[in-house]
Amino acid sequence: MKAKILTFSPAGDTTLLDYDPEIADMEEVNRVIAEYEAKTGAQPFDMATGERIEKVTREQQEVLMVHPIAGG
Amino acid sequence: MERAILIAIALFGLVVWRVVLMLLEQWPSPPATPPPRRRKDTLAMQRPPHWLLPCVELTTGIGWGPGSSRIDLVQADSRADMYLRRVIALTGATQNGKSYFLDVGTTRFQVWDRFMMRLRDSADPKGRYYEETCFGPAFQGMPKAERIATVLLQMRNNPELFEKWAKKETAFKADGQPFRRGAVMV
Repeated sequence: MKAKILTFSPAGDTTLLDYDPEIADMEEVNRVIAEYEAKTGAQPFDMATGERIEKVTREQQEVLMVHPIAGG
Repeated sequence: MERAILIAIALFGLVVWRVVLMLLEQWPSPPATPPPRRRKDTLAMQRPPHWLLPCVELTTGIGWGPGSSRIDLVQADSRADMYLRRVIALTGATQNGKSYFLDVGTTRFQVWDRFMMRLRDSADPKGRYYEETCFGPAFQGMPKAERIATVLLQMRNNPELFEKWAKKETAFKADGQPFRRGAVMV
């Protein structure tokens, strides 16, 4: 079974990372997410529940990085 | 004498006919194949080139002949619509034409792809209060359906973001923390 971290982008959804949650180093997965958030401001949401999450665990199969929104 | 006149008229007619034919041959005519024209409304120009689309699935060995390849292109917009439908199901939003209603507690939002309204607020006892704001992704574009999905997810998790967006000061992360564009690496 594979899990993936994705985001919305100008060309539609883009997969940032896919991994096997049973054997993946979750510290490394979360480090990648933290780096992406630092660069883009995007934060992780669990696509199974629609909830924002602080850390990705092995239970999450699909995580969406949601980008910041500006008012206008 | 009459015969000579008839012959002269016939010769004159032939000369005139020949001149007319020469003129017709030299007259500019449209080429067999018209020159290429730029059409702004062609389907090809409305769609991005296929190599820019995500999720290209390459299947080998199935096609018109041995060794041929079949490329199934999944349009970005249709995938964006799929994600929007999933987010609608997750958030309990309902579609109303081109907009979407989202109830969070006692607050109801109506969301379009670049604009939204807060239709009622728990602070308003009569429930007629409403505000509106435009919104957009902080640093990059995305399909309309994904803009809506992003806002539905963020509003459901943190409805106070509406106040921040309405002030039009800066962009905000989903947790409400301000996000400075200067920190972005695109």
